Amino acid sequence: MCKRSCAFGKVCPLLHREAAAKTFGSAEEGTVAGLKSIARAGVLVAALGLMGGALHADNEPITIGLIIPLSPPGDPTAGQLIRRGAELAIEYYNEKGGVAAGHKLKLSVQDSQGRPEGGVAAYRRLVSEEHAIGVTGFFHSSVNLAANEVAKGMGVPTIGTQTSAAEITSKKYDVAFRTHVIDPVRVSAWLDFITQKGFKRVSLLAETSDYGVGLVDETVKQNQEKNVGLELQPMTFDRSSTDLTPLLLQVKAFKPQLLINIGVGQPMDLMIEQAATLGITPQTAMLISYDAPVRPQFWQLHPKNGAGLYFIAYYSPRQRLSDLGTWFAKAYEDKYKESPVYSSLNGFGDVAILAQAVDHAKSSNPKSIIAALEGGRFTSWAAADVTFPRAEGVYWHNWSPPVLILHYTDANQDWKGAVVVVEYAGTAAK
Amino acid sequence: MISTELIAQSLLAGIIIGVVYALMALGITFIYSIVKMINWAMGEFYMIGSYVQYFLIAQLLGPDLWFIAAPLAAFSVFLFGYFLEPLLIKPMFTAGIERKDDYATVVTIALLLMLRSLATVLSGPYQRNPGSNLPTVMLGPLPESGARLAAAVCGLAVMALFYVLLKTTWLGLAMRAAAQSRFGVQTAGVDIFRMDRIAFGIGVALAGLAGALLAPVFLVYPTNGIVTTTKGFEIIVIGGLGSIPGALIAGLMLGIVESLGASFLAPAYQNAYGFILLLIVLLIRPSGLFGERVRQA
Repeated sequence: MCKRSCAFGKVCPLLHREAAAKTFGSAEEGTVAGLKSIARAGVLVAALGLMGGALHADNEPITIGLIIPLSPPGDPTAGQLIRRGAELAIEYYNEKGGVAAGHKLKLSVQDSQGRPEGGVAAYRRLVSEEHAIGVTGFFHSSVNLAANEVAKGMGVPTIGTQTSAAEITSKKYDVAFRTHVIDPVRVSAWLDFITQKGFKRVSLLAETSDYGVGLVDETVKQNQEKNVGLELQPMTFDRSSTDLTPLLLQVKAFKPQLLINIGVGQPMDLMIEQAATLGITPQTAMLISYDAPVRPQFWQLHPKNGAGLYFIAYYSPRQRLSDLGTWFAKAYEDKYKESPVYSSLNGFGDVAILAQAVDHAKSSNPKSIIAALEGGRFTSWAAADVTFPRAEGVYWHNWSPPVLILHYTDANQDWKGAVVVVEYAGTAAK
Repeated sequence: MISTELIAQSLLAGIIIGVVYALMALGITFIYSIVKMINWAMGEFYMIGSYVQYFLIAQLLGPDLWFIAAPLAAFSVFLFGYFLEPLLIKPMFTAGIERKDDYATVVTIALLLMLRSLATVLSGPYQRNPGSNLPTVMLGPLPESGARLAAAVCGLAVMALFYVLLKTTWLGLAMRAAAQSRFGVQTAGVDIFRMDRIAFGIGVALAGLAGALLAPVFLVYPTNGIVTTTKGFEIIVIGGLGSIPGALIAGLMLGIVESLGASFLAPAYQNAYGFILLLIVLLIRPSGLFGERVRQA
């Protein structure tokens, strides 16, 4: 066994001197044992060769790819938050001496602009030019879905950081993994909320993306399957629309008790303002479909109309963190002088999972990393271990954090003080 | 059953956004009429106007003085355009370039990319809101945001003022003459390059003014000019290149068609209705509603 703090232990492919000395140095072992050891080492070297150059050269860093939206029409704020987390994960592992017996990690960041074609180009670049061993950071479902189609052929695994469309995992691609809340869980959470509030008429205004359309379809489906009996008004709009007034006028005529805002980035912000102008909110409650209101910019954008909103969140400061998560929260606060939000936590967690997968796999070969991801238990920011079982349907290769629905009761309220209205435990697998 | 109230509300909403669209397109059509080039970076001058407005309101004046900030923002954009024109546009006429349209396209697209990247570097990709204290106003059955209504009213006023200046002043006369014939106007002793410079400055200032007025409505971020570019070009094709009344009428038509289409057909295709309108107009009048056929040698 390699005596160094080497992740590879018995099968250390780097043949550290101490291990070699023990193998060959003892007179008691005799010539036969020595020959056996040489043969064993030879087999190991041959096996590693067959794995297709599974290990990076000694000092070569291992690259992890990050595909995030850094410019509109994507959600650049989300991209920046995910990037912060991912960079701290790289710092964490490099300060510890790297992974896979001392290989440093390198992050290669690509801007998808929230466009599927941008995501595909970025994935190709990361795999063919940067030789990334895994790609994560995905925020827009459509980008993740498009990249997965290419990944299926190129073989380097992807981990969806904040993408929830069902098809990302329900297609059961070997390369596709996710650590985010999926459509059925998110919809179950807001149906719980609707039932709790006694709402009967609900409008859903969704952007025409995989995310928006997927959530509308899932809500209609669960409303029927669970016999919730809601009168739904589902509508979709083009993501590039700047004027949602015509749609909101229809919402106003429908007189719902709840309007679910399923826009991402700018459309979500426009809907908040334009619904308030038309007098829909605050009389009608509005639920934002993701955790954008926890971001520091939220109250700058909505100083008057942010109060009273409900929103989905995936992390509460009351939640117990893993040791790794605790390290991250402190490092993040030290560096950015604010508390981390979910996007950063999960960006950190996903890079940490890929780093651990390299250690588990004892290889940087994508197939070995996929096998490690499927079979291993990983530590992320949450207290519970992360696993990616080959489960049924959308739960394939998926781990979900819990879903919370928070409520801003006052203007300029700190998100950490927002009222928790619903806590819904996301399931990893069924 | 479609309610008359919803029809009236949608129509009014369409008219308001239509005026806003027309203001966005006015600068494009004006520059084309004088300089005979299409400025593909027009949306980026809109973006600069919105950032200057944000800076003035958030850092210096406060939301109550938006009406002072907006002309200042437009003037800043005018100066930027006025000093940029000799560097980028004038060589189109003085450097012996044969394919002037291609030159203008390449130069303004390069400018578009540069300005957008510069905005991202300087202020980050985040959205910003300068804020507005203008109250919501009831326009008949339609509640309308004060900021949007102010943008529409100011847009109409600027268009009217602009029209009067073009019709009654010496500069306006020279510009109309330049629009008719760049060579002819030089024989009358007009410095056409100075005229180009002023026209380019005024054109981009109109886009900057639109950006400033709409900053609290459509928010401020590096790519917020995309809508100006797409809607603006739809409008000038519908209304006819170089026609100011055409820009207003086409803007109104586009706003109303999009609003009614989204309300009573399928909202997911809101942006497509404008292109259907554009195709119909081009089928009936290939040079646009108010465009004139030009015979070239």
